[in-house]
Amino acid sequence: MLAKVKSYTIEGLKGLAVDIETDVGNGLPAYETVGLPDTAVKESRERVRAAIKHSGFTYPPKRITINLAPADSKKEGSLFDLAIAVGILAASEQLPYRSYKDIVFIGELSLDGTLRKVSGLMPIMISAMQDGNSTFIVPKDNESEASYVSGAQVYPMSSLADVCAFLADKSTCAPIKTRAFVPSAAVNKYNVDFSEVRGQYVARRAIEIAVAGGHNILMIGSPGSGKTLMAKCVPTIMPDMTFEEAIEVTKIHSVAGVLDSGTGIVSCRPFRTPHHTATVPALTGGGAGARPGEVSLAHNGVLFLDEMPEYQRRTLETLRQPIEDGCVTVSRSKITAEYPAKFMLVASMNPCPCGNLGSKRQQCRCTPAEVRRYVNKLSGPLLDRIDIHIEVDGIGYDELRGSDKAESSADIKARVEQARAVQRKRYEGSGIYVNARMTNAQIKRYCDLSPECEKVLRAAYERLNLTVRASTRVLKVARTIADLAGSEDIKPAHVAEAIQYRSLDRKYWD
Amino acid sequence: MYSDKRRAYIAASCEQSFKKRALAVDDVMSMYGDNLSIADAVIDKTEKIGAYIVTYEDSEYPDTLRNIYAPPPVLYAKGDISLLKSESVAVVGSRRPTRYGRDVTTKFARALAINGITVVSGMARGVDTIAHTVTLDNDGKTIAVVACGLDKVYPPENANLMREIERRGLVISEYPIGTLPLGFRFPERNRIISGLSRGVLVTEAGRSSGSLITADYAVEQGKELYLVPGSIFSPMSEGCNERLKECGTLVTDIGDLISCNRATESREKVALQLSFEQQSIMDMLRDGEMHFTQLIDKCNIKTDELTVLLSEMELYGLIERTSGNYYCIANG
Repeated sequence: MLAKVKSYTIEGLKGLAVDIETDVGNGLPAYETVGLPDTAVKESRERVRAAIKHSGFTYPPKRITINLAPADSKKEGSLFDLAIAVGILAASEQLPYRSYKDIVFIGELSLDGTLRKVSGLMPIMISAMQDGNSTFIVPKDNESEASYVSGAQVYPMSSLADVCAFLADKSTCAPIKTRAFVPSAAVNKYNVDFSEVRGQYVARRAIEIAVAGGHNILMIGSPGSGKTLMAKCVPTIMPDMTFEEAIEVTKIHSVAGVLDSGTGIVSCRPFRTPHHTATVPALTGGGAGARPGEVSLAHNGVLFLDEMPEYQRRTLETLRQPIEDGCVTVSRSKITAEYPAKFMLVASMNPCPCGNLGSKRQQCRCTPAEVRRYVNKLSGPLLDRIDIHIEVDGIGYDELRGSDKAESSADIKARVEQARAVQRKRYEGSGIYVNARMTNAQIKRYCDLSPECEKVLRAAYERLNLTVRASTRVLKVARTIADLAGSEDIKPAHVAEAIQYRSLDRKYWD
Repeated sequence: MYSDKRRAYIAASCEQSFKKRALAVDDVMSMYGDNLSIADAVIDKTEKIGAYIVTYEDSEYPDTLRNIYAPPPVLYAKGDISLLKSESVAVVGSRRPTRYGRDVTTKFARALAINGITVVSGMARGVDTIAHTVTLDNDGKTIAVVACGLDKVYPPENANLMREIERRGLVISEYPIGTLPLGFRFPERNRIISGLSRGVLVTEAGRSSGSLITADYAVEQGKELYLVPGSIFSPMSEGCNERLKECGTLVTDIGDLISCNRATESREKVALQLSFEQQSIMDMLRDGEMHFTQLIDKCNIKTDELTVLLSEMELYGLIERTSGNYYCIANG
């Protein structure tokens, strides 16, 4: 007998339809899987056999051939287990004929027949819906993730026995209800708020501007000055994610297998902090299966690089393309996947290797060559993609700090959302939504400078050694400052403020 | 072109010890007359990089240098060798100057450049580099005395500066092409810096600064020694202050070095109508540099407004932002 069961595998961020064709024929008992299976698929034989046995069915002592069609693409992972088991049972006539048709089976089996959680379910379901398949049997543990795909008929099952009972019409089971998306109020896992950041007036303002305009930001300051705390506060003032954004993020997190199965969806903006020993594939994505990397996991959120010069230079340089394009293409011999990577880069660094350069309390022990080497680890092209660099105040200013309570994240967020709304309106239909992503033509159009503004900018070139390269950055930031102030035109004051956020362009560094 | 005597001087310049090199000046032919072949290779290499060779007996060799103890037998030079005979003052100091040291160096180097005095220095990091750069920026003449062969650049980050000095000033060295910048060569080189110049100006020097070696050479060679005093609390000015107790002239103004008739201090101040807040910020900064946080607490205005005010004042050249979000009154 022959049975054909539908299943899906994951290829990049898309689901790939795989038909599991099972033939159970006469001959010496044997089991063969064809269709380029990887080890995890081949090993499914042992899991499937035990699961069938422990679910009260008979494993047919016959010659079993499984074909994973299309036969020319590599299949990997354990999510075919359920489909293979159903196929064998159907081909050996232990299940009613054709009851399984039109259902997509996804799940990993354990030896006792229970269904285990799989990763990448959401992108698979979305692809399957596009292919016209709308009925799914998925593991119970993936229930909440599946519940966010609207229009799908999803039957969460906890074991192979349940699945068979359902297919034999012996049990009734209602599909789960689609859930509405609510942006998480818990906001972030670090549980921080800007009201906890004392002093740091310059940095607070700069971060507000950065978030409002989607600018990347670099914080420079001695150890312990609160750079990390402020970075963690960044997601708290970002606008809430829309449902579409949340789905994009969830797909990536699902494929990477880092999705929290309890919530089933990423409802707060991701905040990723790869360690500085991270390799290139860890950051941009890679591995045999071309898995998404940190830049993609930070999609629609924040990628925080603490102690940026400590990263390998090669690793940092790979960030340039994702920052520019908002996506990253990972090519491996068998698979090429494109992952979105629109993140806000927040980086921090010490002013010098010992961290005390410019400090009034401690003497810097570094030679000028060491300092230069340290700062030079950040290449010009990379720095060019960071619009704002600021110096963070050092430690020991307790006596200087104002006693009044600092502003909370919610207040700042309100202003940010206002500025974002202005930008969305301005760029409607042009494919961008924040100032940081303006093209040169758009800069010309939206950052028209009055003669007074030109004067300020020219003075900055002459006095502060600002480079021409820096000028577009200053313009973009000035545009955001104007948007925050609710001003239609860029005023000289906006340009003057923007100039203050270009610390690394200044020559006093060496 | 190259007489045996000149070749003998060149051969002498290949000696390792500067005292041995200098001895040769008296009796060069008897010491190196049979060993002239070394010179040919040196001449070859020197001509290849387009440098001149000025020997002790050439007319271009400056008299000020000829009269010091242990003069170099040969100067390898790249650039405008007429500068060797111009009136010059050496400007030296710490390799890691404070902001005060930078300001002082800038002030004096600019004044010297404007008054047409050649600025001699060692192209080291810090004060030396500032002295050369400021002089060139003001279209002045400058001589860099380096402690290695002219084909080497030390410190490497000054490669562009060296090229610029070769083009518009002069780079000299007593070492043949290919000599490495080793530690012991720097003090040796310092005797040429002071020897070339009419006087030596030390703008900022810590207790064990190398620029004090140049200062001591200046006293030994009978040159003027000008010292800029610093705060008695600043370790970076200890060297200057200590020397001032023993020797040297205390200078606070360019008039103390040279008789200048042209007003040099008139750096055009932009006519700016200061707002009330800006005026009060200026008043506060007169007591010394202040942090952004201090200013915001005292002025009682919003962050973005203060940033704008400070930015404007900085662009008009009234104040300066130093590292760590500190602000201070701009000097000079």
